Amino acid sequence: MSLFKARDWWATVLGEGEEFDQGCLCVGDVDNSGTGLDKIVVGSYMGMLRIFLPHPSKPSEVSEADAQLLEVHLRDPIIQVELGKFVSCSELLHLAVLHPRKLSVYAVSGMAGNVEHGDQYQLRLVYEHNLQRTACNMTYGPFGGVTGHHFICIQSMDGMLMFFEQESYAFGRFLPGFLLPGPLCYCAHTDTFITVSSARQVESYRYETLAVATDADTRQEGEQQSKSAGKRLQADWTLILGEGALDIVIPSFSPSAHSIFVLGERNLYCLKDNGQIRFMKKLEYNSSCFLPYAAVGEGTTNVLMANYNNMLLVYQDVTLKWAAQLSCVPVAVRVANFQELKGLVVTLSSEGHLQCSYMGTDPSFFTAPKVEAREVNYEEVDTEMRTLQKIIRETTKTQDILPRADMEDELIITASVSTDLDAVSQALLPEINGATVPSVTVQIKVKSRSVVQNPKMTVCVQPPLAVSQDQFGLDSLGGGGGSQAVVTFSAYLNGLYPPADLTGDVAVSYSSPTELNPAGVPRVTQCKFSLPLRLVCSPAAPLKNAKYKITVDTNKPPVNLHQVFPDFAVKSDDKEGGALAFRFITGSSVSVLASKSSQRYRIQSESFEDMWLIAKELVQRFDGHFAKQGVKDFRNSFAGPIPLSEYFEIVELHFELRVNAEKYQDLLSERAVQFRAIQRRLLTRFKDKTPAPLQNLDTLLEGTYRQVIALADAAEENRANLHQAFASLRSATHLVIMLVSLWQGLGIDQTAILEATLLPLLQDTPQLGWEESVDAAVSHLLRTCLSRSSKDQATSLTTEQLSMPKDTARLKKHITLLCDRLGKGGRLSLTSEANVPTPVMMPAVRA
Amino acid sequence: MEVTMDPLFLAWSYFRRRKFQKCSDICTKVLGDSPYDQESDSPLLISEAAWSLKTRALTEMVYIDEVEVDHEGIAEMMLDESSIAQVARPGTSLRLPGTSQGGGPSPAVRPMTQSGRPITGFVRPSTQSGRPGTMEQAIKTPRTAHTARPVTSSSGRFVRLGTASMLTNLDGPFINLSRLNLTKYAQKPSMSKTLFDYIFHHENDVKNALDFAALATEHAQFKDWWWKVQLGKCYYRLGLHREAEKQFRSALNHQEMVDTYLYLAKVYQRLDQPITALNLFKQGLDHFPGEATLLTGIARIHEEMNNIVSATEYYKDVLKQDNTHVEAIACIGSNHFYTDQSEIALRFYRRLLQMGVYNCQLYNNLGLCCFYAQQYDMTLSSFERALALVSNDEEQSDVWYNLGHVAVGIGDLTLAYQCFKLALAFNNDHAEAYNNLAVLELRKGRVEQSKAFLQTAASLAPHMYEPHFNLATLAEKMGDLQSSYAAALKAEDAFPEHVDTQQILKILRQHFAEL
Repeated sequence: MSLFKARDWWATVLGEGEEFDQGCLCVGDVDNSGTGLDKIVVGSYMGMLRIFLPHPSKPSEVSEADAQLLEVHLRDPIIQVELGKFVSCSELLHLAVLHPRKLSVYAVSGMAGNVEHGDQYQLRLVYEHNLQRTACNMTYGPFGGVTGHHFICIQSMDGMLMFFEQESYAFGRFLPGFLLPGPLCYCAHTDTFITVSSARQVESYRYETLAVATDADTRQEGEQQSKSAGKRLQADWTLILGEGALDIVIPSFSPSAHSIFVLGERNLYCLKDNGQIRFMKKLEYNSSCFLPYAAVGEGTTNVLMANYNNMLLVYQDVTLKWAAQLSCVPVAVRVANFQELKGLVVTLSSEGHLQCSYMGTDPSFFTAPKVEAREVNYEEVDTEMRTLQKIIRETTKTQDILPRADMEDELIITASVSTDLDAVSQALLPEINGATVPSVTVQIKVKSRSVVQNPKMTVCVQPPLAVSQDQFGLDSLGGGGGSQAVVTFSAYLNGLYPPADLTGDVAVSYSSPTELNPAGVPRVTQCKFSLPLRLVCSPAAPLKNAKYKITVDTNKPPVNLHQVFPDFAVKSDDKEGGALAFRFITGSSVSVLASKSSQRYRIQSESFEDMWLIAKELVQRFDGHFAKQGVKDFRNSFAGPIPLSEYFEIVELHFELRVNAEKYQDLLSERAVQFRAIQRRLLTRFKDKTPAPLQNLDTLLEGTYRQVIALADAAEENRANLHQAFASLRSATHLVIMLVSLWQGLGIDQTAILEATLLPLLQDTPQLGWEESVDAAVSHLLRTCLSRSSKDQATSLTTEQLSMPKDTARLKKHITLLCDRLGKGGRLSLTSEANVPTPVMMPAVRA
Repeated sequence: MEVTMDPLFLAWSYFRRRKFQKCSDICTKVLGDSPYDQESDSPLLISEAAWSLKTRALTEMVYIDEVEVDHEGIAEMMLDESSIAQVARPGTSLRLPGTSQGGGPSPAVRPMTQSGRPITGFVRPSTQSGRPGTMEQAIKTPRTAHTARPVTSSSGRFVRLGTASMLTNLDGPFINLSRLNLTKYAQKPSMSKTLFDYIFHHENDVKNALDFAALATEHAQFKDWWWKVQLGKCYYRLGLHREAEKQFRSALNHQEMVDTYLYLAKVYQRLDQPITALNLFKQGLDHFPGEATLLTGIARIHEEMNNIVSATEYYKDVLKQDNTHVEAIACIGSNHFYTDQSEIALRFYRRLLQMGVYNCQLYNNLGLCCFYAQQYDMTLSSFERALALVSNDEEQSDVWYNLGHVAVGIGDLTLAYQCFKLALAFNNDHAEAYNNLAVLELRKGRVEQSKAFLQTAASLAPHMYEPHFNLATLAEKMGDLQSSYAAALKAEDAFPEHVDTQQILKILRQHFAEL
């Protein structure tokens, strides 16, 4: 990972398939030319010795041969080469070559050539030592403080240090506790040998100590002797590193600070010469070799370090100063001076790449390989894109991450109401007011397209209507198209007052199993059916006059009412169909009169609420009739005003009954308290050991009991009345809603709002009644969308506890106001409320 | 031109050049010629040396620096009884990261990991682990880690990143640990350390290693700091943190070493004492001024404690010591990115690229930086390269997720939709993608889909506040105040300072008060 790469100045590859290691590179003025220029000496494990004098290659020169001064095959593997003053009575540098079993010292000399091919170099053997043990590495130096000479110390594979004082063998010593050899280095300053032993510690041995220790030829012998003679070889100092070491270098350039540099497997240590750590650096890579090469400033040392990531790093103590990319992993690194250039880095890799390079700001720009570049043909790309988009669109329709809810229900329910009334009525009440109560059969078909488990059907109609059976447990339906279940029941009137609604609901709950969920997902399907008008009323003779009248206008010529109501057509003399009457089973009757000249129809009846069913039926049938005739722009309308006073009578009645109910409730609780009090008194009397007279408490109890029962009866009756009143209130409200929507021509959505406002409840309870909820809804509408100006619009709801009002005046006022505002063109909508969109968050993440 | 050489020397040379397989092969041959009997008393030196060398080679093949290994096993996490304070004071614990005490970016800008720490710019072991509160959360995969399940620390060998360490020996294990006379080897200082490394790193048999180290340190008369460090390592692996601390402390008394400081700091981090660890690092820096690993340790702790400013300072110090430090560059880069300085972040990432870091994540980051620095032309090509370089599905899904972000940024919602879908196709645990897909679905008006996605995202990543908040918003709009409130509470939990969440909660509380 570096920004720059080492610039090659000169490079070559040595041999083929040859191996090199740490000791195989040596740099110096090997031929003693005196020019101060360095030559490179390289020996290989295959026994080749080469000497180079690199110079920058000129472009014209192809051959690198003239950089190579010498190449000799020495027959034995070369483990290490060193340059030093190894020959006695000579100050010149000689080349020591270490073979596994031999140490040879050569003199290299060059003579000027006669021809232009250049100088001629020769290698001359000065002396050689045959070794008893396999050598591992060597170090040299002025042992014992001799001047002008270098002695050689060879470490053998089995841990013997062999000392050669130039041409003569001096002595050999076994290192104590030896197992595997480590790097060896001689420190001239303290005259000691530094090594890292297998016990993973730096050990320092004085030359004197080594010299005076008992001589030994074999390891065992040495150990025994040293034990007996008491001259056991002891290290001067040790320092535990806890790791093996690759190399030890003691730089000679800074005499002031004597440092020992140890390159461990994971750390770089700089030790003082007494074995204390001067500094250390944890290396976050595997280093291959290192070289302290110069001192910059006081007390700091520059270190060249190479690692297995092909990097050459320059540290100043522990600070990284430079990092450069190399082309291979070096096993040895040296610094050399050449003709024009000083301080070149010479590196040798294990495979024989010899390089002389220097640092430069040559960027090692890593060029990322190109991503599969394809010639862009826009037309082709466009068509490909289109086809892909098409595939994507189609797949998104059919499959997604989430299972899509089926648009079609798995279960189809169809309800068919038979056109004729039942021949034999199923009704529970045989007759009301002398009229027989009819019933009608409803048939429900349940069809399923897939497997459906445990379907259960519930039928619900509004009281006072009732059905012969309202719950059905069906058998599970198998898959396939044909599976279906059929259920029939009868609907009839089961009360003494007309219903507010003739529709009924069917709901089927079932579970549809999936692959992963055999128990099935619970689902519900619903269906509506509407019962015929004939169920609650029968044809009768029309009345001329009635208390309540409603006139519905149309924009088409009048039609024969008998055509519109064929099921109520009485065989009578009235051929024009100008009048028709409906008589409810419950007693009241409603007449519909068609005007002969104008396009108006009048509905009249003795009771206001009863007109609702008829009016609704009329409007519906007109719509159906004209639609059948192909008239499209048929419209019903109502001229107004809305018969609010009649409506309010019903509201009043309902309210009165609610007030009564409350009254009864209070009375009942009062009496109950009284009853319990008397009971308590009686009980104490009876428990008393000395019987006392009852003092008519029993009579009082009896009387209170009767009162309670009577009150409960009355409350019960009131409750039935309240139900009836609520039904009629609902009828009347429906009527009012219809009239308002006819009057103002409200659309479906506005009618729905109105309906939700005026009919919020299906049933009213003592806790929450119709009046207060309608009042709240109406006043909300008045305050928001029907307010006089937009400024008055309340932005938020003011909610308070809904409770039963004291009277209906406020409600009436509000409803009147609502009709007023609607009459003045107010629009019902819910969108005026402040719906401020809230922002949605998207997080940002990265790999 | 074959020249015969002493096989042991050759093996030794190969070992030095890190050609461990060759070294091991030669040693095997040497041992075959003169077998080394583990039981006998007077072995030949050569076979003993070969045996030792092979042990070293085998160890070195699987060696990973123990300092960097920090997989907290699921058992340690859940069965940890050495908890000190349930409610630590802010800024003294890693478990309850004090939010932005150092003025770091809020989670609105910089996403959090599962444990509630800001996402760092450099994936390293232990940054992802965190301490889960429940077993369920522990089993759940942290998204950025690569293994499907949290590791159990005692199972298996630690796999060295990037190398397959499947060393199969045809004739059984090289050293039969059960037959090893530990006492005998503990008395041989030249072999004991090698053998210990083998037991610890290669066999991963911590209990035997501990026994061996105890014997060896006794033999060394408790004067060898290295054995104390090894004892500490074993104790640490076994979860005996206080004993480990004692050993490391004792080792430091003998000899100051960088590694010992790092190990001890690791113990303190595991003990949830970041302040002590910081002090220790600083103490270490007094002895080893400018040591990059110590500085990095300080920076990491600051980063984990959400003190981004200090962390960046220390990362800069690291760079002063070693300007090729990839982790420091990446962390500073990501910090710049999350503080809205994408141009500067771009320079850091470009530097990494020039240094030869060439992987999917880098291009991913480059792409995002280019996008936010408005260099749109480079954005797509960066992502293209990232896609070309993906090595697993998680990376692929991250790239697609970021592409989706870019698409949202340029308003191409169809592309964004498809990108998020692709992200999910490659990694169906990608909670962020679920969340963003939900937002897109909501824009399309498909409320139910959106809700389902948000719920998925919230259950996958309960530490992210966005899905909770979005769910709260959605539910509030739909009138489901109760769910909205529950979700908003979760969002507040994940990110207490989030203003929009506060507002939603305020509105909801007002609603509830009125009822």
